[in-house]
Amino acid sequence: MSRVAALALTAVMCATSVVAAQWLKYPTDSIPRKPDGKPDLTAPAPRLPDGKPDLSGLWHATQGRTCENSRGEARPCGIEIGGSPLGGNLGRNLPGGKLPYQPWAEKLMNERHAVNSIDDPHVRCLPDNPPRHWTLPHLTKAIHSPKLLVLLYEVNAMYRQVFIDGRPFPQDMNPTWNGYSVGHWEGDTLVVETRGFRDDLWADTWGSPMSDAAKMTEKFHRKNFGTMEIALTIDDPKVYTKPFTVLLNESIEPDTELVDEFCAEGEKDYERLQRSRGK
Amino acid sequence: MRRVNVLALVLATLVGAPAAVFGQWLRYPTADVPRKADGTPNLTAPTPRLPDGKPDFSGIWHTAVKIPCTAEFARFIECGSEIGGSPVALNFGTDLKGGLPYQPWAAEVAKQRAADFSRDDPHVRCLPDNPPRPWGMPHLTKAVHTPKLLVLLYEVNAMYRQIFVDGRPLPQDLNPTWNGYSVARWEGDALVVQTAGFRDSLWIDMGGSPMSDAAKMTERIRRPNFGTLELEITIDDSKVYTRPFTVKMRQGLEVDTELVDEFCLENEKSYERMQRTRGK
Repeated sequence: MSRVAALALTAVMCATSVVAAQWLKYPTDSIPRKPDGKPDLTAPAPRLPDGKPDLSGLWHATQGRTCENSRGEARPCGIEIGGSPLGGNLGRNLPGGKLPYQPWAEKLMNERHAVNSIDDPHVRCLPDNPPRHWTLPHLTKAIHSPKLLVLLYEVNAMYRQVFIDGRPFPQDMNPTWNGYSVGHWEGDTLVVETRGFRDDLWADTWGSPMSDAAKMTEKFHRKNFGTMEIALTIDDPKVYTKPFTVLLNESIEPDTELVDEFCAEGEKDYERLQRSRGK
Repeated sequence: MRRVNVLALVLATLVGAPAAVFGQWLRYPTADVPRKADGTPNLTAPTPRLPDGKPDFSGIWHTAVKIPCTAEFARFIECGSEIGGSPVALNFGTDLKGGLPYQPWAAEVAKQRAADFSRDDPHVRCLPDNPPRPWGMPHLTKAVHTPKLLVLLYEVNAMYRQIFVDGRPLPQDLNPTWNGYSVARWEGDALVVQTAGFRDSLWIDMGGSPMSDAAKMTERIRRPNFGTLELEITIDDSKVYTRPFTVKMRQGLEVDTELVDEFCLENEKSYERMQRTRGK
């Protein structure tokens, strides 16, 4: 666990040096504020022109981890911006503390975990496929219009599109990291279905597999201005014995902005990590 | 001839794309496109407007002025199998009298890069396409425009660029980045985008014209009708060029299609192989 955490931290170390950059302090527009000027994160969720909840904003996994000071007292973690504990093991809150793996998939995950996840695409600066963005220690910016939800990511300055214009899934999808996402409303909940994934994805940092048979459903509920709940269901019979649902929580990050974290240039970690294999 | 060789490299980096062009979802009709009686898009219809009355640049764009298909071009790739790309992508100064106003050292760098078949072009290595390059590349750009933010989504590496239209100033101490930092204001129906904070090592065309961290770029963007975007791009980079220069570009709307992810970084082998051919 801690060794995997160390690897994950290595992969995000670059982020900390830029946190001091000047533009991160620009006040976010349209945030409801209290009389003292602080953001009122319990104000009602904003609405789109068509009356549906507006999911726009800068989101980050609601911090689940705490750190301790030298006296063993809880304090906020300092150098990292957080990330969800589910980023390591997506099944950590499920019965038994793990996803319902097929036997071969559990063996594969254990092998990946045993070598400190040195084959993780994230560590190699390859794209973070859904659902990983919701748990990583990076910000996600949602830009929401009535017919399109765009999610902008910091890592490699990549994005994901969710079409809300009533289109069906294409019949013959190119397998991609992001898959193809379409959404519809059920009351105030945006239900996003995604298919067309590549066959070799990781669903978490420990190495839980996700295949091209995966059907992913995210139910987005913005409870108030500052909080969003995502009920994530993955139905992937090639990898898991049954569909499972995991609850993710995101919080608004006010008065800041995304930073480009383009890590593929001159990337040397992967080669070095491979050399460490078996040592 | 030199240009043709550069082109060959450019084309070599693109051959992955045609396979994806047949993806089924490319045929889904674009919502909100005005149509003629026969159902075809009416691209001369009036400019759409944002809720605040300003022109709405949203849509999928691609250069309207395309690299002509000549016999030399056809030696490398069949005419028609590529979606286009602008001559400006090859030589940003192609329409300027006398070409780009290079400082002597920069003219030498561009000459060497071209003589070297642009082997070191970041685009060929799957590194990001910095502005202004995406406007000229044979890839689609999707603009998502809200009153306070213009987002440009690119196909290559599924990357994006943000342009802030909320009145913020350019920050004082910018992190050098591929995209730079872009803020914009309206002058009538033209959006004037100013960008600074570039990295020091950028290319602005396939020919290898440099751009430095001293560069300030201004893009004047207009949408004169539904199907057209007009750009005036001014680059003021006193480290590289003897004076500011302005290049005009025109984009056409691509309807009933969608972006495809073109993620080329995985298992990228071209760069190493091209380096091995250096000097041969």
